[in-house]
Amino acid sequence: MPIEVSGLCHSYKKGTPFENKVLHDLSLKIDDGEFVGIIGPTQSGKTTLAQHFNALIIPQKGRVIVNGCDTADRQADLVSLRHQVGYVFQNPDYQLFAPTVGEDIAFGPRNQKLNNHEIEKRVSEAMKQVGLDRDYFYKRDIFALSGGQKRRAAIAGVLACKPQILILDDITAGLDPQGREDILTVVRKLHHEEQITIIFISNSMDEVAGLAGKIVVLDQGQIFIEGLTREVFARADELQAIGLELPEVMDVARKLANKGYRLPTVVLNLEEALDAIASALQEGQVAD
Amino acid sequence: MELTRNITLGVYLPGETFIHRLDPRLKIMAAGLLITLLLFIKSYQPYGIFLLFITAVILAAGIPVKYILIGLKPMLPVLILMWIFQLLLYSKPGAETIISWWIFSATDAGLHMGNLITMRVLFLFTVTTILTLTTSIVSLTDGLEILLKPLQKVGIPTQELVMTMIIALRFVLILAEELDKIIKAQMARGVAFDRGNFIQKTKKLFPVFLPLFINAFRRAEELIVAMEARSYTGGKGRTKMKTLHMGRADLRAGLVTLTFSALIVYLIVTIKPLL
Repeated sequence: MPIEVSGLCHSYKKGTPFENKVLHDLSLKIDDGEFVGIIGPTQSGKTTLAQHFNALIIPQKGRVIVNGCDTADRQADLVSLRHQVGYVFQNPDYQLFAPTVGEDIAFGPRNQKLNNHEIEKRVSEAMKQVGLDRDYFYKRDIFALSGGQKRRAAIAGVLACKPQILILDDITAGLDPQGREDILTVVRKLHHEEQITIIFISNSMDEVAGLAGKIVVLDQGQIFIEGLTREVFARADELQAIGLELPEVMDVARKLANKGYRLPTVVLNLEEALDAIASALQEGQVAD
Repeated sequence: MELTRNITLGVYLPGETFIHRLDPRLKIMAAGLLITLLLFIKSYQPYGIFLLFITAVILAAGIPVKYILIGLKPMLPVLILMWIFQLLLYSKPGAETIISWWIFSATDAGLHMGNLITMRVLFLFTVTTILTLTTSIVSLTDGLEILLKPLQKVGIPTQELVMTMIIALRFVLILAEELDKIIKAQMARGVAFDRGNFIQKTKKLFPVFLPLFINAFRRAEELIVAMEARSYTGGKGRTKMKTLHMGRADLRAGLVTLTFSALIVYLIVTIKPLL
């Protein structure tokens, strides 16, 4: 049940003087079980593209087929499609509304018309998946939560619908380092243990480099580069040319390489960097 | 679905036409005059002149006519409903019945009432929209403040009032944008807004309006803090960075508006009212 996008175009405020063309003739395929990072400068169309995946936006031109269902088809059951494809927004305040955490997480399953027993089960599972202690948080006031806890509650609210594909739209923005790390751990576990296909939109190259298996780089509404994470970051100069930064570890490695240390040009995470630097030092080979 | 696309009221469409450059005081007064006239129009001919005048203004200001129509679209269901109500429920002695079916009957008086009221609302909306489309928020504030200044003498805090009005106008778009996101966030969790009976549908609005209200309050609070952090203490003793000057173009535009208004008034007085 992959996602297939072909010839997709989208404009906001179409037909008004404020018309803003966001996507131009974009084609893309995402397979089951992949962990795809979507990166690109601001206004490159990341969110707009992702919102097509669960029919929050219906294609103006082109086709989006998700799990065999054409989202532009008037007969298509978009509600059930949205249960298969979860979407977590950047700002949890847009989603959370119920008085307690438990009730808010139960909102999705309740829309699926499940029985109470099943709903309770889903809520408990989802809370466990995101690491919110059920006994402590279930009856907590939603507005008494910290930023990181709110994000986790929001993710749980989407997970409770049991999606097969999960879209995470810049969910670590504005979090402190600990909150960020907690969320990323949750995401990693979801992919590895539950085999959920994850589409991860982020402005942090470090996060994407550390998590994604495949990367789609968008620029001005078109695919700029698409490929395996290592291949994409190997084209560092092109990424920098459209205003993207490199992962911090990779940046350090490149600077060291410029100083003459023998280091690989693509380093995606801290472990790799440590290994590479250690072996470079062991060889003790510094030019000149 | 994109809510903000259809919102034209309160939006500023930057441009360099002479309409854009006119003194905001003049534009506000002209809009006020036109709106007042609307309340007295009780026949079709004055609306013809009115339409002619505002179409000329729209074209002169370089506003695409299509954009004005897009802005009217969300009002359509309400207008149609209103028209039907007037048609079926309004009548007066001596009115001729044009159609009658079962317990309903429509008279010519009802038809005229429906038409005229609908036109009144449409024109009211369009005049206000043209004003905000061609006047930046800063000019609008400046203009309104000066025009309302005499009211300060009787103890009305005009500067604060204007500030509140302008902020409210700005928030229309911001809240619409937010509403858009909230609806999407809840749709992503499987809410089907168009399914179910009336009560079920109403219940589905809670997950949308609750976050909207809470976010609106939060936003308002942040705005207050931001304003206070920049030492805003209300209108007393505030001076203007830009002073307004009426020029030749303003005089001419004013005269044209007055001429058209006079024509409309003449028609109002001479033509026998339909109501």
